[in-house]
Amino acid sequence: MNEVYILGGYQTDFERNWSKEGKGIVALLKETVKGAFDSIDITREEIIKLNKKNKVALFIGNFAAEYYVSQGHLGPLMTEVDECFYGVPSARYEAACASGSVALDAAITKIKSDDYDLAIVIGWELMKTVDSKTGGDFLGRAAIYDIEAKGIDFPFPKLFGKLAEETIKKYHLDEERYKRNLAKISDINYKNGKRNKNAQTRKWFMNEEQANSRGIKTNDNVGSILSVSDCSQVTDGAACVVLCSKNYIVETSRNISKFPVVKGFGCRVAPFEFEKKIKESMDEKYILPWTRQAVLDAYNRAELTLDDIDFFETHDCFTSSEYMAISAFGITEPGKEYEAIESGIIDFDGTKPINPSGGLIGCGHPVGASGVRMFLDLYKQVTGQAGKYQIENAKNGMMLNIGGSATTNYCYIVGMK
Amino acid sequence: MINDIKTVTIVGGNGVLGKKIAGIFASFGGCKVYIVSRTIEKSESAIEAAALSVKAYSIKNHIFAKTYDDLEKCFQESDLVFESVTEDYVIKNEIHQLINKSIDHECIIATGTSGLSINELSKNYSDINKKKFLGMHFFNPPYNMTLCELIPSRYNESDYINDIKNYLERQLYRDVIIAKDEPGFVANRIGFFFLNEALIYAEKYKSNGGIDYIDSILGKYTGRNMPPIATSDYVGLDVHGAIVNNIYDNTEDDYKNSFILPEYVNELIANNKLGVKVGEGLYKKTDNGLFVYDIETNEYREPRPYRFSFKDQAIAEFKKANYIKGFDIIKNNKSLESRICLEFLLKYILYSLTIGKQNCTKISDCDIAMSCGFNWVPATSLIELFGGKEEIKNIAKSLHMEKAKGMELLDEIKQYELNYEKYIKASN
Repeated sequence: MNEVYILGGYQTDFERNWSKEGKGIVALLKETVKGAFDSIDITREEIIKLNKKNKVALFIGNFAAEYYVSQGHLGPLMTEVDECFYGVPSARYEAACASGSVALDAAITKIKSDDYDLAIVIGWELMKTVDSKTGGDFLGRAAIYDIEAKGIDFPFPKLFGKLAEETIKKYHLDEERYKRNLAKISDINYKNGKRNKNAQTRKWFMNEEQANSRGIKTNDNVGSILSVSDCSQVTDGAACVVLCSKNYIVETSRNISKFPVVKGFGCRVAPFEFEKKIKESMDEKYILPWTRQAVLDAYNRAELTLDDIDFFETHDCFTSSEYMAISAFGITEPGKEYEAIESGIIDFDGTKPINPSGGLIGCGHPVGASGVRMFLDLYKQVTGQAGKYQIENAKNGMMLNIGGSATTNYCYIVGMK
Repeated sequence: MINDIKTVTIVGGNGVLGKKIAGIFASFGGCKVYIVSRTIEKSESAIEAAALSVKAYSIKNHIFAKTYDDLEKCFQESDLVFESVTEDYVIKNEIHQLINKSIDHECIIATGTSGLSINELSKNYSDINKKKFLGMHFFNPPYNMTLCELIPSRYNESDYINDIKNYLERQLYRDVIIAKDEPGFVANRIGFFFLNEALIYAEKYKSNGGIDYIDSILGKYTGRNMPPIATSDYVGLDVHGAIVNNIYDNTEDDYKNSFILPEYVNELIANNKLGVKVGEGLYKKTDNGLFVYDIETNEYREPRPYRFSFKDQAIAEFKKANYIKGFDIIKNNKSLESRICLEFLLKYILYSLTIGKQNCTKISDCDIAMSCGFNWVPATSLIELFGGKEEIKNIAKSLHMEKAKGMELLDEIKQYELNYEKYIKASN
């Protein structure tokens, strides 16, 4: 099978509110495509030429455009963005917050199988078209709507609040210490976001004291023990990565040693309803064994271990999901995640930094874009293009992108050959 | 010491900007902050506002309400004293003399003026303290507007200024420019040039509709969050008047007359119609909707639904992120309104470059000033949007402005600010 190379990509500024700018999908996607094409030095003429040979395709990740912007059929929508996409195969992929990853998976598969030489993957979501309560209800569709979301205000903070509760219960943790650990996770993500010029929260204030002040005005409780500071915030944005075959790199006379490859992936689906997850994992070591398995699958496929991974991008939709990810990655034993948090292992300058970009909490979480944004950040780090949030000597990076209450679990490992 | 600012005193900390600056030091700076006002109640309510302004109630643990009786003690404990009292030499001089008397340790002394002369205020200080005193101009609201203009006096050493600049950038996440001690410094000088010209043009075109006519021509689609006259109304006409009068009185250049406050605005101020803060001014908001002041009739009326085809077409292009195409439409249209729009944008470019050259350490600082202080599209971005320097020269020619001040600086621009997209709104 073909190896899959990453040519580069582009992320929009997650601080932007496209509705306030009076702009919609076409503007968002046009800027994204232009940004990506400029950064990797590809022209629209080249797309037209490649398409004549049926060697290029588009893969669109999006969760809920039908609700947020009343638009479906998002694959062909790309023809509204640029006429160079007329005739180019293009489809939309959906797996809630892991929509970007499932689009990536399809693109990677098509390069591996030699069907296409160039795969343009775009994840996007416009979420600031509605108020937060309405948006919360839309997002409820990523859970079992009738049981877990219908008629419930902000269902997801409540589900990840339950994860926090169950984590404490399963590992007999001291609740206050666990809450302090979550506050530290929040603080790290906000701090990292300050280094990222595309981060939504780069001008926002957060520190451990504020994150530890749960239940006060400006840090209201949102679900169980979680507060606003534990949550990623509503974000507009898009991210694009362009994948290609070795053949394409050679034919376009690019220097192959400059481009990283996809080294491994893992994908596992868990029981949909959160209660069922907890019931099923009752006697397991890991609270979310399906997440752990997706990580293991990626390590195995890449023939790499934790020692080979220099940094992680994880799905911190809530601090409780990042807490769980620490052991899923293998950084600590399950139930001992606090060791990595308290000792500084996951800090920006720690030995296993998590979310140097700021993650979903710091950088932002335009739902359908997040998987692609993480993947782009892996690319940036391993090619030394992460600017102020560059991790020194980053050779391999791993990402974990989850959909729903860790129902869809996607991992990728990206690194230089 | 500068990178280890632990205690800050804000004198006049109950003012609109003072309390928010207290919030910035207490949050990002992690400082212990004393808010000093005339009464303890005022200081206490400022703490609440400071915490809300940075959306972090936890910082209330580090802010303490004080009165002028506590001044000396606060000063002596402080690593930085920030004066934020009324913009009046008499009032400010009194405070600075007090500060001078109380400070004999290493301490940054800053004034938060937006217009008064730093060199003039520095006269309140002893030779030793003169070296510690400088201007530090934040923009409102500082949580969203990250610009901070540092204005050295003639007595500061450059290392001192650079250390403070670094602190503001690294610790407080400010976008800092060093500005000369000139009227209006940089951002207000450029911004209020544009705003006041809009007021002047409203009078000039009063028979076409005046205020809402000009605001409609220079709406959000020209690279701002709010049309200019609505902005002045929001800022407050008294504040607007004080700023432009100060610049008019203290400058002598080709653009001086752009700072003459029109008579109708003076009349509105005299009648306490100061703008949004009192409910009426250039606009008036009532339960029945929004009304606009008609300069011809001296009465408020409903805003007119102006439609300009060039504007509609440009906005349609911006909606599709075709920014250059949209600016081509503005550039090539021959209507009176498109000419007015073009003239304003060209003057804005030229005046920004002029002030950048004259009042900043480098011309491109005018871009930081306008994007981070006003949220307006920066001048060099506009040059790119219009198609580059040569196109600007063509536009100037078509408007008979090829000899205007600032044209000579076009060739000094080396690099364009590339991220202009977010400033160009696809709406009125």
